[in-house]
Amino acid sequence: MTFLKILVVDDDPVTRTLLTKRLINEGYTIDTAEDGRVAIEKLARQFYDVVLTDLIMPGGVDGIGVLEEAKRINIKTEVVLITAHGSVDNAIEAMKKGAVDYLQKPINFDELFLRLDKIRNLKMLVKNASDLREAMDVTEKTSAETIQDLEILVTELNGRLSAIRATLLQEGMAPESRIRQVLDGLDEA
Amino acid sequence: MVKIRPEEIKVLSNYIYNVSGITIDASKAYLLETRFGKLLDEEGCKSYSEFYHKAKSDPRRMLEKKIIDAITTNETLFFRDTSPFDLLKHKILPDLIDVRSGKGTRPGTTNLKIWSSACSTGQELYSIAIVIKELLGNNGNHKTTLMGTDLSNAAVAQASAGTYNKFEIERGLPREKLHRYFTPAGGNWKIKDEIRAMASFRHMNLMQPFVGIGKFDIIFCRNVAIYFTLQDRKKLFDKIADVLEPDGYLLIGSTESLTGICPRFIPKRHLRSVYYQLQ
Ligand SMILES: C[S@@+](CC[C@H](N)C(=O)[O-])C[C@H]1O[C@@H](n2cnc3c(N)ncnc32)[C@H](O)[C@@H]1O
Repeated sequence: MTFLKILVVDDDPVTRTLLTKRLINEGYTIDTAEDGRVAIEKLARQFYDVVLTDLIMPGGVDGIGVLEEAKRINIKTEVVLITAHGSVDNAIEAMKKGAVDYLQKPINFDELFLRLDKIRNLKMLVKNASDLREAMDVTEKTSAETIQDLEILVTELNGRLSAIRATLLQEGMAPESRIRQVLDGLDEA
Repeated sequence: MVKIRPEEIKVLSNYIYNVSGITIDASKAYLLETRFGKLLDEEGCKSYSEFYHKAKSDPRRMLEKKIIDAITTNETLFFRDTSPFDLLKHKILPDLIDVRSGKGTRPGTTNLKIWSSACSTGQELYSIAIVIKELLGNNGNHKTTLMGTDLSNAAVAQASAGTYNKFEIERGLPREKLHRYFTPAGGNWKIKDEIRAMASFRHMNLMQPFVGIGKFDIIFCRNVAIYFTLQDRKKLFDKIADVLEPDGYLLIGSTESLTGICPRFIPKRHLRSVYYQLQ
């Protein structure tokens, strides 16, 4: 996951093309949607690390709609909203609903790349942590099996040692038959 | 970040051992820096010696509590290792209820006492409570008393609040149980009152004598003795043997062993899990 897969959602073809070009130059994998509806269809078909969506779009599904659907389909998809200049309230509303970040128009590309870098680092950390956890779980599970088997085995062996001891100490039996009995017992086991 | 000096490592490790029983290997001194760096700053201490003296001389022991919170590893999850909870549901609880409800002053009734002896943030005890709820429902004949104790006050406080963030919740808890036994609270999840009310939590140091806690039918002592010396583990399990009912059950961590530690306990196997009973 070195390069994020991003879905760019904007009804304005000029912005869409510009974003796509700049992001591809930076090494990201880009797909586009011209409105909220198309975005949701694409989100249902495949996984995107990040959705970069305009807040206000025509056609019934706006940026918040895309955000909610993206999060419902896969909680791991991060959504960055692009808002009109000065509409911070809307952006904050979106953050409450689970967006990771927002950008104001006109888009400052350096800022955008910085934010995407942060998202990427965060995703890598989360992945490292869950890989480690996974590895730990596997180690723990196999060692638990070994330890528990040994624990039971040691107890069984201790029981057999006590039985041997008892046999060897048995009075009224010739030493040789005690030994034979012990050996027979050992052969059985 | 303030660096810890070799002579300070010894003093601080000793102090930690005295207040918690937790042993810190000299080779893991970096652990002290990562765990206490922030606290040192907050307390405005310029060195680990100053930090140590501040902790020692505080009559209200506020800093001692913070040190304990910082040095304990509270790592836990709901239904950790799964099998102990299956064992509880399919063997231990049914067996104990059978044995107990036949005897006693009021046949047909039981009151089982269960102790999560290093409960951390409560996931272990709440998992037990959920198993009991699912097995016994609201059957009033079978009462249970669930107690959770831990050395870390912060852990006990979170257990009491019964609130967990999305990372804590994601681990170990099946979705269907999450929705049945928790309610959303802000960005977090809170255990429902019906489960919360089954359990009580308090602070307790397992290194000290067990006074006035009575006897238990089932004791969970998982993933805590691993931090203690062999000598202290022996003492701990001996004390646990003293407070376990003669036909009670002990569960330890899945990678722990009592071989060479406490001969009073014998391991027994049921399907894929191991539990301990008194000889
Ligand atoms: C790794 S957690 C185990 C939690 C849970 N039993 C489990 O298995 O998931 C270890 C806990 O032991 C507690 N602990 C450490 N020393 C202790 C002591 N001396 N007395 C009581 N609890 C202690 C820590 O505060 C921590 O919450």
